[in-house]
Amino acid sequence: MDLSLNEHQTMLKNAAANFMERECPKNVLLQLDKHETGAPPELWHKIAELGWLGMLIPAQYGGSGSSFSDAAVLYQELGKGPLPGPHLSSAVLGALTVLEAGSEEQRRAILPRVADGVQVLTLAVLEPERRWGPDAVQLTAARSGGTFTLNGLKVFVHDALAATHFICAVRTTPGSSGAEGISLALVDRSLPGVSVRPLKGFMGWVGEVRFDGVQVPESSVLGALGGGWAALDRAIERALPILAAYQVGGCEAVFQMSVEYSRTRIQFSQPIGRFQRVQDHIIEITNAMDAARWVTNEALWKLDAGRDAASSVHMAKVVASDGYYTACNHAHEVHAGIGVSWEYGLNLHTRMSRTLYSHLGDPRYHKRRMAEALL
Amino acid sequence: MDFEIEYSTEQERFRAEVRSFLEANVPAAMVTTAAVESYTAEQYRMQRDLGRKMGVRGWLYPQFPQEYGGGGLDLDHVIILDEELERLGLHLPPYYDSGGKMGGPTILVWGTEEQKQHFLPPIFKGEVRTWQLLTEPGAGSDLAGVTTRAIRDGDDYVVNGQKVFVGSNNGAEWMWTIAVTDPEGPRHKNLSWFMIDSSLPGITMQPLELLTASGGEAGSASGEKQSVFFDDVRVPANCLVGGENNGWTVASTHLEVEHGGTGNIGRSRMREALFEHCRTHQLDGRPMTEDPDIRELLMDLYVDTEITRLYGLRNYYLAYAKKARTYEGPQYSAHRKTSNLKLTRTVQQILGYYALTTDPEYLVGEGHIEFMQRAGIVGTHPGGTIEVQKLIMARRIGIGSTPREKAGDLG
Repeated sequence: MDLSLNEHQTMLKNAAANFMERECPKNVLLQLDKHETGAPPELWHKIAELGWLGMLIPAQYGGSGSSFSDAAVLYQELGKGPLPGPHLSSAVLGALTVLEAGSEEQRRAILPRVADGVQVLTLAVLEPERRWGPDAVQLTAARSGGTFTLNGLKVFVHDALAATHFICAVRTTPGSSGAEGISLALVDRSLPGVSVRPLKGFMGWVGEVRFDGVQVPESSVLGALGGGWAALDRAIERALPILAAYQVGGCEAVFQMSVEYSRTRIQFSQPIGRFQRVQDHIIEITNAMDAARWVTNEALWKLDAGRDAASSVHMAKVVASDGYYTACNHAHEVHAGIGVSWEYGLNLHTRMSRTLYSHLGDPRYHKRRMAEALL
Repeated sequence: MDFEIEYSTEQERFRAEVRSFLEANVPAAMVTTAAVESYTAEQYRMQRDLGRKMGVRGWLYPQFPQEYGGGGLDLDHVIILDEELERLGLHLPPYYDSGGKMGGPTILVWGTEEQKQHFLPPIFKGEVRTWQLLTEPGAGSDLAGVTTRAIRDGDDYVVNGQKVFVGSNNGAEWMWTIAVTDPEGPRHKNLSWFMIDSSLPGITMQPLELLTASGGEAGSASGEKQSVFFDDVRVPANCLVGGENNGWTVASTHLEVEHGGTGNIGRSRMREALFEHCRTHQLDGRPMTEDPDIRELLMDLYVDTEITRLYGLRNYYLAYAKKARTYEGPQYSAHRKTSNLKLTRTVQQILGYYALTTDPEYLVGEGHIEFMQRAGIVGTHPGGTIEVQKLIMARRIGIGSTPREKAGDLG
């Protein structure tokens, strides 16, 4: 047993931490908070040049073919910002979905461009009045000759405004339900009939995508017709611990902020960290962070070692989503007034923790998936 | 014991009078939605107009004595006013008036006769709007640690310092604040309260960008919060209320009101909006209210909000029936804050992303739900953190020692 980072991972962690410190200090993160996509082109190009968008893409498709554990080291550092932008949507969820679902030809065509950051992918799955799962997919793709025509609405699509292409879950078998009859269509955002708009509120970079008579060629369907959900589910199971690592990074940042504040904020002539009620909040943050960290680390190891990871990856999403949410709540109680001021920066994490809580299914959904694996 | 409010013929007559008055004087455009960011100057002007009209009738601060501009009304009538305003989504007063709500009762208990005659009628008749200014950058939970100074110089006090998390937008005529009047004096014996005309030279304001401006306190929404700077502001000496260096004693009345001691009979609009949404919307092709998970989550939320309501109702009764109180105010405050924060997650479990959006196509309860997601966080600190409320409860219950503190005097 060895639970430490290896030399390569330590170097990657330091490089990512240095990048965040240099390129994304707090004032930049606050600017990004108000940016339409969270990823201005110059920043996105820097991330692509570092090879970070190709980590999970095998070398033959233009990436570096790193392990899940390696990629998670990077994402944990990005989560500390938190650095917004479509990196998770495109380079993790998008790339893994193309790898799982796409034909060899599609992989060769798409993945190098994802690794270069030229093509930006995101999943478009959820629809109005639906919860995460195959029944969320109702949007129809009617076939006529070699063309599919898409009509319908996708909501709460992460990074919808940053994406150049949507991996849209559609029903290609009329009258099908559940996981059967779902296909994944790669839809160029610039096609006629595609319209995208941001959805505002206490969440970040989430949008609505409307498909109004959008015509895509049959070759845009990733892999086998009707087998889309199974491939998507396999891809998501591999992506979940990376997302969880990003949430662990978020926990670490609010932990650091809270500990620092407990030492420097003086009330009643002493640092507030001397008060047990304040200590209790920081202990809860610590526990949320470490629970998420170790559940996530083990899930990553299982993926990399080729072990059965089904219950672990879903558990990582459960514990990290709840943990990040919980950590932010306690951090707000440590900080009180200053914590809710925009300039302080804690709000960036709070909003991210809410946004990611429902992403790809909330903890209840993933507990059901754990039960399927364990019972 | 009887929880049913029995309305007498006289009360029903009063209700009819209030209702027809409000129907005639509350334009629909006055009522703010949950999205306080859209609160307009025009809405504020309408709310002030209504306040003045209510003030003339003694309905703005109905429970306060008529001789000072209040209504001299008993609990039976105050309940009717509360209920009728609540029906329209308004509160007493119908605009953010923290300095009036907390400074008013404080002046009534601690002011000289001359001060009561001078300060109370404009507040109670709605002629002025008043903000409270307590918190400073270095003094939050530790209110006694404020450093804003008010130093006597001839017939004036000269005020210097900074207050934060103040008020809302559209300004206020008066400012109700606490400052150090004896820089050499011992802690708790160096403070005094002032009612300050906000048009005095040397007062400037700067808006703060927060997660939400309104903390979800019972009362009207506030659009934003301000930093207020005092730079050699000369305040007439007769604006000091409750005795020089006696401010910590005087604060007990102010804080009792702020800590929930006067209670609340309001309903939970957030809960009504959520239940209504679940009754009228589907999830995965069947009514939301048929889903076992959602049913359980809704009942979790119902239990917590009912306890909040009952604590508020109890405190409302105790305050207006002038019954003995100890820890009840901070208990209400602590429970409300704790459960509102906890329930943000319950609501997101029920609604998913719908809980988070203000988009007109997808928002729930006209935006009350998304607002609650933010207000549940922000609301944990105004008027004292949960930790401070627990500390006060412990002192008043007598945990570990005989009770060390009494509830503040509400007059």
